[in-house]
Amino acid sequence: MLKNSGYSLHNLYPYAATILSIALAVVLWLSKEIIGGSVALVIAAISFLSARDLTREVIKANEQKCHLDQQLIQSQKLAAIGELSAGIAHEINNPLAIMGQETEWIKHLLKDNNIEGPGATEELRDSLQEIVRQVDRCKDITHKLLDFARKKDPLMQGADVNKLIEDMARLVDKEATQKNIKIVRDYRKDLPRVQTDPPLLRQVILNLLNNAAYAIGKDGVITIVTRQSSNTSIELVFSDTGCGIPKEQLDKIFDPFFTTKPPGKGTGLGLSISHSIIVKLGGRITVASEPGKGATFTIHLPAQPSRGEQ
Amino acid sequence: MPLKAKVLIVDDEERFRLTLRKLLIANGLDTTAVGSGKEAIEELKQQPFDVILLDVKMPEMDGIEALGELKKINRGVEVIILTGHASVDVAVEIMRLGGYEYLLKPCPMEELLAKIESAYERKVARDERMRKAEAIQTDQAS
Amino acid sequence: MKDFRVLIVDDELDFLETIVKRLKRRKVDATGIDSGIKALELLESEHFDVVILDVRMPGMDGIETLREMKRKRPLLEVIMLTGHASVESGVQGMQYGAFDYVMKPAEIEDLLEKIRAAYERKALHEEKVREGRVI
Repeated sequence: MLKNSGYSLHNLYPYAATILSIALAVVLWLSKEIIGGSVALVIAAISFLSARDLTREVIKANEQKCHLDQQLIQSQKLAAIGELSAGIAHEINNPLAIMGQETEWIKHLLKDNNIEGPGATEELRDSLQEIVRQVDRCKDITHKLLDFARKKDPLMQGADVNKLIEDMARLVDKEATQKNIKIVRDYRKDLPRVQTDPPLLRQVILNLLNNAAYAIGKDGVITIVTRQSSNTSIELVFSDTGCGIPKEQLDKIFDPFFTTKPPGKGTGLGLSISHSIIVKLGGRITVASEPGKGATFTIHLPAQPSRGEQ
Repeated sequence: MPLKAKVLIVDDEERFRLTLRKLLIANGLDTTAVGSGKEAIEELKQQPFDVILLDVKMPEMDGIEALGELKKINRGVEVIILTGHASVDVAVEIMRLGGYEYLLKPCPMEELLAKIESAYERKVARDERMRKAEAIQTDQAS
Repeated sequence: MKDFRVLIVDDELDFLETIVKRLKRRKVDATGIDSGIKALELLESEHFDVVILDVRMPGMDGIETLREMKRKRPLLEVIMLTGHASVESGVQGMQYGAFDYVMKPAEIEDLLEKIRAAYERKALHEEKVREGRVI
C-alpha cells in the first residue's frame, strides 16, 4: 500500500485501525494468546481491505467532482460567450438600424420632387452626420471589445499606487468641481510600492472615478481610501454618495454589456474590463451598495513585490 | 400606395424612432412616436391606432410585456414587434400574446411598409367582420 | 541615469526651452521640437525612447500625433502634457496608448519620475519582444 505515490502521514489515517490491529496481534502473540492474536490479524486484514476500498471510492468521487467542476466552468464560459455575443449583436444592431433609416431618408430626399432649397440640403447634411455619429458609436464598441477580448498580458512594474490614484483624481477633479462633486483623499502614508501594470491600473481607477461621478450627477462626495490590508495586500477603496445599486443588479454589475445608462451612452464594458484587468493583476474587485446610500468599490491587490506576469 | 393607417412607433432609441416617423409620414401614414412601453400605453388610451411598431428590448418595460398590456387596452390593434434577432420562443410568445408578426432590425423600408400594409388590411377586414356581426345581432334583436 | 533619449513636443516655445534646459541639467538627453509633424519626421531619422507630447497644438494636435507615433513606433512610450483646459485630452491620450500624463506647469521631479517609469516600461517591452513573446 505504501508503494502508491503521494502517501503522506495524512493518508495513512484510514489505515490506522489496520496498524493498531497488527500491533494488537503482535502483542497478543507475544503474550502467547495465539487465538487472540490470529483474530486480531484477521481484523487487521479486513480493516485494511475496507480502508483501501473506501479510499479508492473517495479518490474516484473526487476525480468525478473535478470533472464536473471543469465541465461547469466550461459551460459557464460558453454561456458567458453566448451572452457576450448576444450583447455585441444588440449593441451594434441599434446603430446599424439608425444608419439604415438615415440612408432611406436620404434616398427619399433625393427622389426628384423632394429636393427643394436649403431645407433639404440641411436635412441631407443632418442625416449624413448622424451616420457618421453611429459609425463612431460602433467603432467605440468594437474597439472596446477587441481590448476586452485580446489577451493583453499585463507588463508589471513597480508603482506608487497613491501617486497613480492622485494623478487620476486630478483628471476627474476638474469636471467634478463643476458639478459640485468633491473628491476626498485618504491615502495611507508609506503604502508599499507594488508590482503592477500602471497604465492598466490607471484605466480601472479612471473607470471607477467616472462611474462614481456619473452615479452622483451633481452635489456629492467621492472618497478614495488606500490602506494596507495585510502583509501581502493593499486595498484601494472608492466610495460615492450617488444613487447606489439595487440588490438584483449587484451581481450583474461586472457583466459585459450590463449598463443602466440610456442607449448610446456607455457600452457597459467599463466595469467588466476593469474587473478582468484586476484579475489579471492578481487581485480582485468587490462592490458593496444600497440603493440611495451610494456604492463602494474595493480593489484588492497583492503587495508582495514578486516579479513575473500573471 | 397611400394607406390610411394610424401608426404608433415605440422605441427607446430617439433618433431611430424620429427618423422612422419621418419616413412613414413621407409614405402617407399618420404616425406618432414614443420612447417607452408606458408612454405607448398612455397614447393608446388616448387615441385609436391601427398598427403599432414595438421594439422588443427596452429598459423598464420590455416589448413582450408591453405587447400584452397594449392588447388589453385595444384588442383590435395590430402589433408588429421589432427585434434585433429572431428566435422560435420569442416568435411563439408574440403569437400567443396576439402580436401580428415580428421584423428583424435593421429592416429595409419596403419590407416594413409591406408588413404595415398587410397588418392594416387584416385589421380592416376584422373590423369589417365585427361590424357586420354586430349589425346582424341588432337586426335579430329588433 | 541610464542612457536614454527624450523628445519633447510642444508649440509653446518658452515652455519647450525651459523644460529641455531643466532636463539637460539633470543629465537627461533631451531634445525639443515645436510641432507634431516635425516630431514624426524626426522620429524617422533619430531614435528616442520617451516622448513628452503636448495635447493642444495647432496643425496636427497631440492626440493625432500620438496615434501616428504609436502606429509607427509601438514601443515608444508617450507622456501627454495637458493644461487645465485639456484634461479630457489627457484621458483620451491614455485610451490611445499614452503611458501617463503630466499637467502643466510640470514639476520637474514629477516629470523625471514619470520619464523613468516610461523608460522602464519600454525596456520591459523590448525584453519581452526579444524573448519572442507577443506584446
